[in-house]
Amino acid sequence: MSPPLLEVSNASKIYAMGGLLSRRRFAAVADVSFTLEEDRHEIFTIIGESGSGKTTLARMILNIVPATEGTIRFRGVDLATIRKRADRLAFMRQVQPIFQNPFEAFNPLKRVDRYLYMTALHFTDARTADEVRAKADRALRQVGLSLAEVKGRFPHELSGGQLQRVAVARSLISSPALIIADEPVSMVDASIRMSIVNLFKALRDTLKVSIIYITHDLATAYYISDRIIIMKKGEVVESGNAREVLAHPTHPYSILLKNSVLSPDPSRRDELLAPQFSSTEKDIAALR
Amino acid sequence: MTAGAPTTVGAAGQGVAEAPQPQPVLRVSDLSAFYQTHYFGIVREVRAVDDISLHVLPNEIYGLAGESSCGKTTLIKTIAGAIQPPLNVVGGSVKFDFRGQSINVYESTPEERNAMRWQHLSYIMQGSMSVLNPVRRVRHSFVDFAFRHIGRSMPDFLDTVVGHLERLHLRADVLDAYPHELSGGMRQRVTIALATVCRPEFIIADEPTTALDVVVQKGVLAMIRGIQREIGSSLLFVTHDLSVHANLADRLGIMYAGHIVEEGPTAELFASPRHPYTVHLIGSLPRVGDAAPKKGLEGVPPNLADPPPGCRFHPRCPLAMGICSRETPVMEWAGPGRRVACFAAEKGITA
Repeated sequence: MSPPLLEVSNASKIYAMGGLLSRRRFAAVADVSFTLEEDRHEIFTIIGESGSGKTTLARMILNIVPATEGTIRFRGVDLATIRKRADRLAFMRQVQPIFQNPFEAFNPLKRVDRYLYMTALHFTDARTADEVRAKADRALRQVGLSLAEVKGRFPHELSGGQLQRVAVARSLISSPALIIADEPVSMVDASIRMSIVNLFKALRDTLKVSIIYITHDLATAYYISDRIIIMKKGEVVESGNAREVLAHPTHPYSILLKNSVLSPDPSRRDELLAPQFSSTEKDIAALR
Repeated sequence: MTAGAPTTVGAAGQGVAEAPQPQPVLRVSDLSAFYQTHYFGIVREVRAVDDISLHVLPNEIYGLAGESSCGKTTLIKTIAGAIQPPLNVVGGSVKFDFRGQSINVYESTPEERNAMRWQHLSYIMQGSMSVLNPVRRVRHSFVDFAFRHIGRSMPDFLDTVVGHLERLHLRADVLDAYPHELSGGMRQRVTIALATVCRPEFIIADEPTTALDVVVQKGVLAMIRGIQREIGSSLLFVTHDLSVHANLADRLGIMYAGHIVEEGPTAELFASPRHPYTVHLIGSLPRVGDAAPKKGLEGVPPNLADPPPGCRFHPRCPLAMGICSRETPVMEWAGPGRRVACFAAEKGITA
């Protein structure tokens, strides 16, 4: 039996804070375990408010930040054992990131297509300029753009939605098995947000990529996820089938999170009553 | 939406429109404000606010929605009279009427405008960290902003501030804290306290909850509404998030590329949007419990330095007709309290 695509077992990331005498330990990620299977292509969502450790977990899976405890295995390889450049490149070829803010992910002084070419040179067998361009164009077509639209452009010449599509295209060049998308739509305009979200769905279905989708937005999570974990203060408080968990959360924090989502329905606006705030704050204090 | 809901809330919405019209607090007429540069003989013009008219009634929350770079922030800056070149007002007027004391922002002296600010007109900004001075305690921000407008002795003033903070469930000791010591939600509540401590008649709020966590956001919104109802001021609330507007705004204006394209009571606008852009925005809102496929809108928002001719939405519009690329639709009355700028909606076609 082949090893799972990604196996996170009891992974923790503990930061030590303070000076020599007053050292405090702070667990950004505490004892998280989950497994993504090789042949079940799914959108796996990590939900949590800011400071819940979801980005740290993403960075651990990308092998940017080492886990202090526990192991993360990708196709059976422990990430902590990846030392050589060749191994690292082989890992990066299979696991690709998409970041939150496309305007920060791309250097404003460099042309956008350069990122596509560099990725193609590093992670594929393309060697000639024509091959590299063909790879970039194929990836861009998968996200509904073409090289002609992007060629020679600087980030400021593209809209946020287009730029985020280029970021997705870049991650597709190496034909990865896993894409880690950290809040990919929170900086994208409302009218374009759903087309990016739909794009992730299409990638899962047509290209057979597994996607780890990190977000704080329960509504889009409900819309695209297959499985979900909810994180609070570094710990997983609830996990399972996305629709079931979000429809009937059981952990008090998940319930609080769900109740905090504003319904886009003016007839239910009276739920927004002032006294609710103090109780919400008390709830948070109690949970912490 | 349930069948019964629109009628009940709709009736309330009509009440706003048909009640013996009180004098609006804010009346913006045909306002245009462009960013104009002419360096080396090259003239550039970005039409960020183009021929906008709106009014805000006393004790009303007016929501302004639109995506980034559609001119929302430029509009409210122009309304607040806080503009600097290259942003210039090209035409139109902004008039406030604070309980009999009226002021025309662009015909008044800087002294008159300064006296108006904070006492009658205040502003809740998006980044609470950049409002509060990071190297001074919160107390100093209150003294800097509000002391001279309240006109009492310092101990009296601080008593007022402490009493006001209590309304926002903040303890008096936040005054002695530095901004970085407070959580994001507390900091945003401090800026709300700062903007409301003088009990102004008009409050402008620019994306006040966008940077907050979901769990905190709902409470802060409830608090903004509570304090607005209590001091009876009008609120111009700007955010791109329609779920926030659904829960807060009495009337809603939708902006696209420098124009207001649709306006109406919130409940009616959600129940029966007329402009194709509004139809899309409301139809594509994801909800927990609803997994039906939703579409994104194709195309990109127009560049305001070179907007498309005619209706600025027509290159992305599913209902575009020949006339749309030639003529600019004007805002026309479409039912009680509602206005829409669309040729298709005029003919009764909806997306």
